[in-house]
Amino acid sequence: MTENPTNDPTSRRTFLRNGARIAAMTGLGALGGVLAGRSNADAWVWQIDPQKCVRCGNCATECVLEQSAVKCVHSYAICGYCNLCTGYFEPEPNALTTAAENQLCPTAAIRRTFIEDPYYEYSIDEDLCIGCAKCVEGCTRFGNGSLFLQIRHDRCVRCNECAIARTCPGDAFRRVPASQPYLLKETH
Amino acid sequence: MKKEFQLLDRREFFRDAAKAAAVAATVGAAARASAQRARPNPFAYDVSHLEKTDSKLISHEEIQRWRAPYSEARRLALAPGGELLVASGNYVTTFSAEGERGLEIALTEPARALTVSEEGLIYIGLRDHIEVFDAKGQRQATWDSPARKTWFTGLALVKDEVIAADAGNRVLLRYDRAGKLLDRLGARDRERNVPGFTVPSPHLIVRLAPDGLLRVNNPGRHRVEAYSLDGDFVLAWGQPGMGIRTFCGCCNPINFTLLPDGRFVTCEKGLPRVKIYSLQGEFESVVAGTESFPENAKACASRGLGDCTQGGLDAVADAQGRIFILDYVTGEIRVMKQKA
Repeated sequence: MTENPTNDPTSRRTFLRNGARIAAMTGLGALGGVLAGRSNADAWVWQIDPQKCVRCGNCATECVLEQSAVKCVHSYAICGYCNLCTGYFEPEPNALTTAAENQLCPTAAIRRTFIEDPYYEYSIDEDLCIGCAKCVEGCTRFGNGSLFLQIRHDRCVRCNECAIARTCPGDAFRRVPASQPYLLKETH
Repeated sequence: MKKEFQLLDRREFFRDAAKAAAVAATVGAAARASAQRARPNPFAYDVSHLEKTDSKLISHEEIQRWRAPYSEARRLALAPGGELLVASGNYVTTFSAEGERGLEIALTEPARALTVSEEGLIYIGLRDHIEVFDAKGQRQATWDSPARKTWFTGLALVKDEVIAADAGNRVLLRYDRAGKLLDRLGARDRERNVPGFTVPSPHLIVRLAPDGLLRVNNPGRHRVEAYSLDGDFVLAWGQPGMGIRTFCGCCNPINFTLLPDGRFVTCEKGLPRVKIYSLQGEFESVVAGTESFPENAKACASRGLGDCTQGGLDAVADAQGRIFILDYVTGEIRVMKQKA
């Protein structure tokens, strides 16, 4: 009876040769992958589609940076310059003043500036904004949705697999060309 | 017979180990991502306690419901004979009080304002101009656009004039019945003590009240204002706030109508709700609370997508005091009757 050829024991020399081949191929593949990834990262960047964002809060907590690269952005063309801005004030404020207890933002990152009765301008202090989207939800819930989140590419470290994208329940993260890195809201 | 234990060779061992590691890594990553997705939001904007209405405040019950024939239903009007006109899609459709479909008028774009004269002429505000149809649906006239940013959202008939609310320019326009522009009312004027309309989103409505004064919503100031036909500011009522007695969010009420006795029926967005106020503007009751319009509430909240410009309600009241409510999101028309 002849032995089954598929069960031939591998000689040490063959094993080492095959192992070296596999290691070399794996190394080349990995190098190619890294180079391709780096090239890809140069051409494509992560961004949030504001139409898909569900304001879950993950952008504030999941970014690999200590302070998230995601910030609130304000489209002034859409804003109503409301006196009672639901992106700025708590749902039931004591008064429409800038007192801390009336503000919705946990880091007081929104500035309110009087324009003329009854209009106020709202702007974002990006150093304070943590990208929690609480203001975005308030504005979108009752207003025109002029506040929205974007990844700021002067801060983003361009992880190959974005830590926030991995947990985004709205699948709002997508790759966009680095030449057009923002998905901005325009007028309605 | 019991199978004998067999040793794996090195190749099988590595292959199986690699498979197991890949499966473990995939399952672990999926489980971690799933857990992170399902985690409660520490920054949640919570108004859920405001979405439930005290049942003691609800004065009306639903007696009928049907759906507008086309999507993007935006406006209701009642003809003097009691027929209901519904603007949805690029059409205006008439319904009997029982919901039976009648005449249909095709338009070139969605109607945003609607009213019917005693003679049966139908005035339709499209975004930047007004069209007039006879009772058989034949176009009688087209009035030119009065200004560059015009966005008509309300129409009212007063004597032999038509008052049009232009949300884009935040004014009321007085026309004669032939479409000649006579005057502009309501523009901010400190010397005349006219506060001006604050209209963050296109919701500006005008009605003629039994006292002969025009009533206009001023959503950015959270109130209803009264004007003389000459444009003098007379009075205003309404307060901002999330509570049931006030007008919620940044800009409400977005719509209102009048009951036969002159009381007000107001419609809000964000927390979609329909309420009744007295002639003096005191809160009286709730026709339908936020819990009656779950899809509408969802359209504005993070549970849905988009923003609150897509949500909202419109209402009209007939001579018997029945209130017809149009839900922008579902396209449903509800007929509400006062509880016995």
